[in-house]
Amino acid sequence: MSNTQMREDEILEGIRAHDRRALAKMLSICENDPNLANVILDKLEKKRSHVIGITGSPGVGKSTLINAILDKMNQGVGENVNSIKDMGTATNKKKIGVIVVDPSSPFTGGALLGDRVRMQSHATEENFFIRSFANRGALGGLSPSIYEACDAFEAFGMDNVIIETVGVGQSEVEITNIADTVVVVLSPDNGDEVQMLKAGLMEIADLFVINKADNPRSQILLSRLRKMMITGDKDVVICLTNAVTGEGVEKLIKELDDRFFQILSNGVFSLKRKKRLLHHAQSIVRRELDELIQKFENDGTELKEIKKRLLEELCRKAHKNGS
Amino acid sequence: MVKVMIAKPGLDGHDRGAKVVARALRDAGMEVIYTGIRQTPEQIAQTAVDEDVDVLGISILSGAHMKLVPKILKLLKDKGSDVPVFVGGIIPREDAEKLKEMGVIEVYGPGTPTLEIAEQVKSFVEHSNA
Ligand SMILES: Nc1nc2c(ncn2[C@@H]2O[C@H](COP(=O)(O)OP(=O)(O)OP(=O)(O)O)[C@@H](O)[C@H]2O)c(=O)[nH]1
Ligand SMILES: [Mg+2]
Repeated sequence: MSNTQMREDEILEGIRAHDRRALAKMLSICENDPNLANVILDKLEKKRSHVIGITGSPGVGKSTLINAILDKMNQGVGENVNSIKDMGTATNKKKIGVIVVDPSSPFTGGALLGDRVRMQSHATEENFFIRSFANRGALGGLSPSIYEACDAFEAFGMDNVIIETVGVGQSEVEITNIADTVVVVLSPDNGDEVQMLKAGLMEIADLFVINKADNPRSQILLSRLRKMMITGDKDVVICLTNAVTGEGVEKLIKELDDRFFQILSNGVFSLKRKKRLLHHAQSIVRRELDELIQKFENDGTELKEIKKRLLEELCRKAHKNGS
Repeated sequence: MVKVMIAKPGLDGHDRGAKVVARALRDAGMEVIYTGIRQTPEQIAQTAVDEDVDVLGISILSGAHMKLVPKILKLLKDKGSDVPVFVGGIIPREDAEKLKEMGVIEVYGPGTPTLEIAEQVKSFVEHSNA
């Protein structure tokens, strides 16, 4: 649903011409009709963006940190691996798309999307585009149309796509399926951060940030994290930041750039992208399945019968789509 | 799914009213984008376009509504958006009439029950999509 409609060809043309209104409309299609979104996105060339996932417990400072990253990027911090060939031209500013996800209420379906508040000073900048999503009940702290949305940003030619997950601790592994690099943000405010790490965040981190470094207890957290890494088999860079003042954020950006360069050259990037395609396909089938189950929900049909009808319906749909 | 944005322009930092409305709309099943206090008209208009919201609510208590609202309406138009706009705050009746003439679809005073606002916002969206 949206106020002024744009035709499909207008959207295609608009995205190619870097018209942000076209991107805005495209993202609405991603949310409301992801199947159509995939058809449109197939027709667009996509830039090789660095997709960065930012995850961590509620209130650790994810949104504030993204704001600080945007601040620094605007001051010219960070290499532009993609547009080295564009060097010397006037517009060497990095283009960044930001996807922020907040939870939907399981009861009313409503959502309060507040991550943007921390980034509003960048709302009018030409090279940035921030978009809020409700998770609409999707598992894993992301939106059901996250793959389509990410593709749309890449089709728009973003150098980086930054995704902030819902602030939940455990089992938020979905982000590893879509992001090239996962940043796990920790804060000394949260007493049980080490517990959280044991519960699974440790495995998914490509980079750790200990935010709120202005809190002296961040040093304790740092040494604990280091200790965990020695006993585990993982060696991950740890950055200390103060997202409010921007301290340490330059170093974080440098680490992110280094990592991008590294995964481009060692093959991890292509591997990640292959996996992302698989997970994207899986998410499409899961969505179809969810819709069908919704349809059957109140039927009172028997389990065996439901299973049979689900498969029949899926086959019928596949036939109809010709795919 | 209805997507609505609640914006708070102007220099005053009182956003209790805006937050109450935002929560009420959420509880009525809408997706509500809240952008925080002290937003410039340019920030508000650009955010409404980028987020492609179905309806935009502007909360103003500072008394500057006759200056701020027309500015926002013009910027929206310039950006090619015809998103319906409603206004909430302490607004004299004659000003409310003028704002409506400019294209604002509804003006709510401080005492308006939030359930009423939620009902009406839903119907604005239904109408603008019809
Ligand atoms: N002292 C201090 N406060 C910070 C820092 N970073 C963020 N904060 C504060 O922490 C609070 C939460 O910050 P957010 O950026 O909203 O945290 P978040 O992780 O995005 O939160 P959710 O999206 O709700 O999960 C805010 O009040 C910030 O101002 C920091 O480095 N130091
Ligand atoms: Mg946040």
